[in-house]
Amino acid sequence: MIAQIITGLSSGAAYALVAIGVVLVYKCTRALSIAQGEIGAFGFLVGLRWADGGVPGFGWHLPRFGTLVVAVVVAALIGLVVERLVMRPLVQRPPLDGLIATLGVALVLALAELQIFGTAQQNAPPAVGEWRLRVLGATLVSSRVVAVVVAAAVAAALYVFFSRTKFGLAVLATTSDPTVARVLGVPVNQVYRFAWVASGALAGVAAALLGPAFGGIAPFDLTRFTLRALAGAVIGGLDSIWGAIAGSLIIGVVEAVVGSQVAAGGADTVAVLALVLVTLLLRPRGLFGATAAA
Amino acid sequence: MAVVVVPVVADGPTLSILVGTAAVAIAALGLDVLVGRAGQLSLAHAALLGVGGFTAVNVGGRGGPWPLAVVAAVVVTAAVSTVAGLPSLRIRGLQVAVVTLALQVMAERFLFVRPDVTAGSLTLERPALLEADVPLYLFSVACVALVLLVRRRLGSTRTGRALLAVRDVEARAGAFGVEAGPTKLFAYTLSGAIVGLGGAVLATKATAFGTAIDPFRLLQSLLLVAIVVVGGAGSGSGIILASLFIHTLPQVVDALKRSGPLVSAVLLVVSIVAQPEGIGGVLRDIPRRLRRGREQRPSPRPRLVELAAASEAAADLRRVPRKLALQMPVRALLEAREVGVRYGGVLALDDLSLEVRRGEIVGLIGANGAGKSTFFNAVSGFAPVTGSIRYKGAELLNRPPVRRSTYGLARTFQDMGLVRAETVRENVLLAQTWLARYPGAAGILGLGGTMSQERELRRRAGLALELFGLEHLASERLGDLPYGTMRTVEIAAAVASGPDLLLLDEASAGLGPDESQALGERFLALRDELGLTLVVIEHHVPLIARVCDYCYCLESGRLIAEGSPAEVTSQASVIASFLGRAASQEAVL
Repeated sequence: MIAQIITGLSSGAAYALVAIGVVLVYKCTRALSIAQGEIGAFGFLVGLRWADGGVPGFGWHLPRFGTLVVAVVVAALIGLVVERLVMRPLVQRPPLDGLIATLGVALVLALAELQIFGTAQQNAPPAVGEWRLRVLGATLVSSRVVAVVVAAAVAAALYVFFSRTKFGLAVLATTSDPTVARVLGVPVNQVYRFAWVASGALAGVAAALLGPAFGGIAPFDLTRFTLRALAGAVIGGLDSIWGAIAGSLIIGVVEAVVGSQVAAGGADTVAVLALVLVTLLLRPRGLFGATAAA
Repeated sequence: MAVVVVPVVADGPTLSILVGTAAVAIAALGLDVLVGRAGQLSLAHAALLGVGGFTAVNVGGRGGPWPLAVVAAVVVTAAVSTVAGLPSLRIRGLQVAVVTLALQVMAERFLFVRPDVTAGSLTLERPALLEADVPLYLFSVACVALVLLVRRRLGSTRTGRALLAVRDVEARAGAFGVEAGPTKLFAYTLSGAIVGLGGAVLATKATAFGTAIDPFRLLQSLLLVAIVVVGGAGSGSGIILASLFIHTLPQVVDALKRSGPLVSAVLLVVSIVAQPEGIGGVLRDIPRRLRRGREQRPSPRPRLVELAAASEAAADLRRVPRKLALQMPVRALLEAREVGVRYGGVLALDDLSLEVRRGEIVGLIGANGAGKSTFFNAVSGFAPVTGSIRYKGAELLNRPPVRRSTYGLARTFQDMGLVRAETVRENVLLAQTWLARYPGAAGILGLGGTMSQERELRRRAGLALELFGLEHLASERLGDLPYGTMRTVEIAAAVASGPDLLLLDEASAGLGPDESQALGERFLALRDELGLTLVVIEHHVPLIARVCDYCYCLESGRLIAEGSPAEVTSQASVIASFLGRAASQEAVL
């Protein structure tokens, strides 16, 4: 049981990376984004393609660690493009329009993956090497350990960022009222850009780490990342980064424990859904959310 | 409006594809009831389509007659959809999308893999009438037409209008007598019923149904959303065209076979960014632009009306069934005692006591942030209140906002609480929601007294618009009108709901001096001709001086002065509140 919990925590850490990105975008733009999971997956698949088939034009096969780097860079670039072309024009519109737009982005990416990479599940040796760690009876593969470490590092970095740096303050100002922030000279457009690039990069890390750990990513595997990360963000409270982390960890643990105890396929998904419903019905603003989410 | 293309000349396989498209179009039209009318995004509609289809196959394949299978599909899908809509009562729109995503995934992984659900060995027997391709195709077109008719009928009922309020101004919908919860659930039920019909059509068409669950997977749910967005939320013809484009073309045109879904996805993104009203918006604009080229636009300002001349018609508006009779002889229509409103650390109203007597026009003045609108919120039920507020002697504080509007309270909002996307007439009808009491389904079917109730509402709306000189703007979209006219529409809508007490929040905001003068005349006429009692929040002191019988001045949530307008405006404390201490000292000197 402890082993399951530890494993679940490591999955949760990877979900948390995506969930943090979702909350970051929500805090900055009041738009809920469904696209992060797929952005990360796309980056990972590009990295894989370049590792196996060589970088186009160079013929140079990436080293294993390169897939992680490529995943992060490609995903961050996609985030940048999405922000500029799709989300920036929608800033004044109701949040539902933003949600639909990110849905469209996720759909475009998923279908493009199908076209470019085919339908088979793609996998690769983990980018961070093939070692394991035994913790309290659970054996964690390298990717999972790194996921936990990265998630913790990101959380710490964000804490410092929001409380100590000028740009972090700018982000918080934009969150509470973009119009007023703009009038006061806060570089609001830079804040939007930061939110999307950062969330894309985080999603790329998550996909690169978790993909190998789960046995690969198939195009259009929205259920894996997107649903779990969204569930984590929603449970934690859409406007709280700590909530996103806590919620994702809880999701990871519940999913692992239920998956191991109950034989029926899909039972872990049912458990995740039940957890989301129960949390929202008892506390609509989420565990750590400050305001009732729109 | 409805564009019905009948390519009866097409061959068998094409007709079969078109039947499939009809089913998808029906599902998209059902999704649009949720998205376009209620503002709820569901990512589970392909799963609902599957529920409908599999129900039909299970009922028909096990010996039930075909009509029963169809009815079962409609009913079961409606029920499932209603249950799926229950979370929306507590949680807001974005989270609903996440919940429906989870439901869709669950249905795929859990429900549609069970052989007793998919019933692979059973088939639904087509009735002899629909054996051939052409009759089946015509049947599917008839189903689409039926769905379009139902949607049209929905728009003419109180529930249809209430859904718009829930979509756009949910927090305040109670002020019109709209109960958000049951209204939302109705939208889910209706949506499910429509999708169930689509599932039945699919089941009737397919020979081996249970083996292929691809039409019911997440990708199809997302494509349904794409159809609704590209077609234009709320536009039946747009959605049908989008269905043809997104569903039929890839199957018919070879070049699009592989990339069809990707093109649709790109269209979805382009649509939501650049043309959010979709194809339907384009279709609507064309006749409007043609018409405008030829005619003059109606003047967007209200006509000047002599209210005294229309007093009989005006009195007619006051005749409404009133539940709350006078409890005991009270001198004050509205009586507030020691009312306090606290938001977290901020005390918005502090120990406020005031009274409004029948037939008075009471002015509520004060600097910005003094708590005037908060007091209105307290009276109409949108603020957490301590103390006592009595209306006609009955305590208001335990009653939900929806109830209070039935007692004869009507109000306007500082930032205009109507639905800008709809026409003037629809908004005035919306404000009278509490007057018609029929359930949604009865309204759609036109049962019982619903048609006559609707006629009565329209008559009253016409009267109210005439009283304010707005009848020439009845079909204009509210959001297109100038700000001052929008505010006048809001007052007309409030009057149409037949109140005894009218709370007007900064009705003169955005009006020039002439219009302010006319507004003052209107206030007096509302009191004299319609017998209304008014409480007006105003900043325009001459207006207050001319019109009000009694005046209260607030500052930082407290009452600092009361009396006749002349008395109040000459008090040093009031002048200090508005203009500063030096000015007040000058005035005293």
